[in-house]
Amino acid sequence: MRIAAGLRLGLPLALVFMSAIFVAAESAVAQDGSDEAAAGMSRDYSRLDVSVAVFDPGVPEDISVHRDLDVFPRIRKIEALFLPFVLRDTLVRTDEWGAVRVVPEPDVSAELLVTGRIVSSDGNMLELHVLAADASGRVWLDKPFIGIVTDDYADTDDGAAAEVTLSYQKLYDDISTELLAVRDVLGAQDLERISEISLLRYAYKLAPAAFQGFVTDLPEGGVRIDRLPAKNDPMLGRIALVRSTEWVITDAIDTKFRELRAEIATVYNAWRKFRRKSVQYAQEDARRARDTRSVGEPGSYKAITNSYDNYKYHRVTEQEQDRLAVAFINEAGPTIEFIESRVAELEAWVELKYIEWRRILEELFEVETGG
Amino acid sequence: MPRTIFILAASLLTIACAQQQPVINDEMMRLDGPMPSNFGGSWERDYTRGDDFNAAVRDAYYGLHRNPTNGQVSNDQRTRYGSAAVSKRQWNAVYAIARLADVITRPQVLTISQTEYEISIAREDDYAIFCAFYNGVAKNTESGFGAEMCGWDGEQLVSHVAMPDGLQITHRFTVSRDGKNLRVVTTVRSKTAPMPFTLSRFYTRFSAPTSDFNCVETLSMKRVCSTGSLEL
Repeated sequence: MRIAAGLRLGLPLALVFMSAIFVAAESAVAQDGSDEAAAGMSRDYSRLDVSVAVFDPGVPEDISVHRDLDVFPRIRKIEALFLPFVLRDTLVRTDEWGAVRVVPEPDVSAELLVTGRIVSSDGNMLELHVLAADASGRVWLDKPFIGIVTDDYADTDDGAAAEVTLSYQKLYDDISTELLAVRDVLGAQDLERISEISLLRYAYKLAPAAFQGFVTDLPEGGVRIDRLPAKNDPMLGRIALVRSTEWVITDAIDTKFRELRAEIATVYNAWRKFRRKSVQYAQEDARRARDTRSVGEPGSYKAITNSYDNYKYHRVTEQEQDRLAVAFINEAGPTIEFIESRVAELEAWVELKYIEWRRILEELFEVETGG
Repeated sequence: MPRTIFILAASLLTIACAQQQPVINDEMMRLDGPMPSNFGGSWERDYTRGDDFNAAVRDAYYGLHRNPTNGQVSNDQRTRYGSAAVSKRQWNAVYAIARLADVITRPQVLTISQTEYEISIAREDDYAIFCAFYNGVAKNTESGFGAEMCGWDGEQLVSHVAMPDGLQITHRFTVSRDGKNLRVVTTVRSKTAPMPFTLSRFYTRFSAPTSDFNCVETLSMKRVCSTGSLEL
């Protein structure tokens, strides 16, 4: 009885709320122009929406190996935030995809989710392990990509942001090319099904009770799609609206990340230049040690000071690099913290809204199914 | 592979040169609980104490002549240098490590920063001696240029570096009970010298002058200072 009374009061409110979502979603679509389905336009399914998750910094938990692996954890974290945007921009430039967004966490319900782990990054070379999978679970890419800064790129000094984009551009172009190659072998039906599954997985996450018969949780993680709902399923329509609203927030987060990128581009470039110099100094140290191996008679003052100096210069180069890493953190740290707190606020807002959306959708489902 | 061989060789040499006793053994590299001594702070050289270089060289010279093998010369070296008599080459090798010991113990100021896990000893015109204990074990550093290790011998911090040509340098840091004085004993060994050479230096704690400015290092703006809190 109390539930029924609650529904009598709650349903109109829910409908008002859903209308508000619809307005927000329409506004988002109008701004973005890519989520064609949500806007009621006929959709070109080859233009899948792509979510690029913030990369895994690839920092080993064992801090004792950081020095050996040349890993600066906080800088890796910045790179993990920073580098996905270069991939995002590369994918956008191809004009082959729908909305391409950088998202804070991997979302398996994304039509195409691209995740990356930084294997190594030293200013001269970047190795990324990229995993791309669509909503149906089909793996598109699962392989490392290596980018080397060429002298032409490294000497480019047209502006900080331009250099970041150019430095490892070939690496991002390679990822983009391989993603397109996989997409091009998929048929129109496959692509449409990816889009449908994507929405269904999102729906299952949001209102599991309503979509229980369509999706089965697998014990090893992930889900199995048992069947698809009708295309005119009203609940699915509402889910699409909710999702569009969430995209508004995701786009706001994306904008915050872009601001971050713009703000730290200069200092990140300075860091990369210094890092590159450090690598060159290390190579010079090695060359010097090799060239002076037979300086002086063994045991002579000249020979032993040469041996000591070789060690000293090597350690000074390492320690200078540590100092520069701290300088970079000093400069970029406050910006990172500010952006992170803003992103956390937006994410918290989405989490709160999820709870509200779930409640409303479950109530609507009960009303519609007479539960 | 060459690095492994080098480390192995350096370790073996360490053992051989220290009369079958490694300078730093496994037990010294373990740290259970807090660090036994606090070295953190600024230290300036106390020239009224410590070894006089010329006197130490003289002692080494007479010591070598009294006991030319000093118990540390291999049969190979005896053969190479002839009889038990001190050759000019032997003395030159000892004098060479003595000069190196003098050079590397010259810093007037040591700036030591110490945290729960790390100690960094910054020296003028030289690299900072760094010692880190992660998961309760000292972290060694190794490269083609040398292998560096550290550990605790009671309340003494011991840092040891072995270079590919057999040159070895050991620093022992001891802080006085009242925390005001620091003793640094530096020993240099070489496979070409029949005996090691040791110099002691003393330092006194001092308070580095505090500045009215708050400064931080940055990459694009170099050193940035402010009289208030810094907002970059």
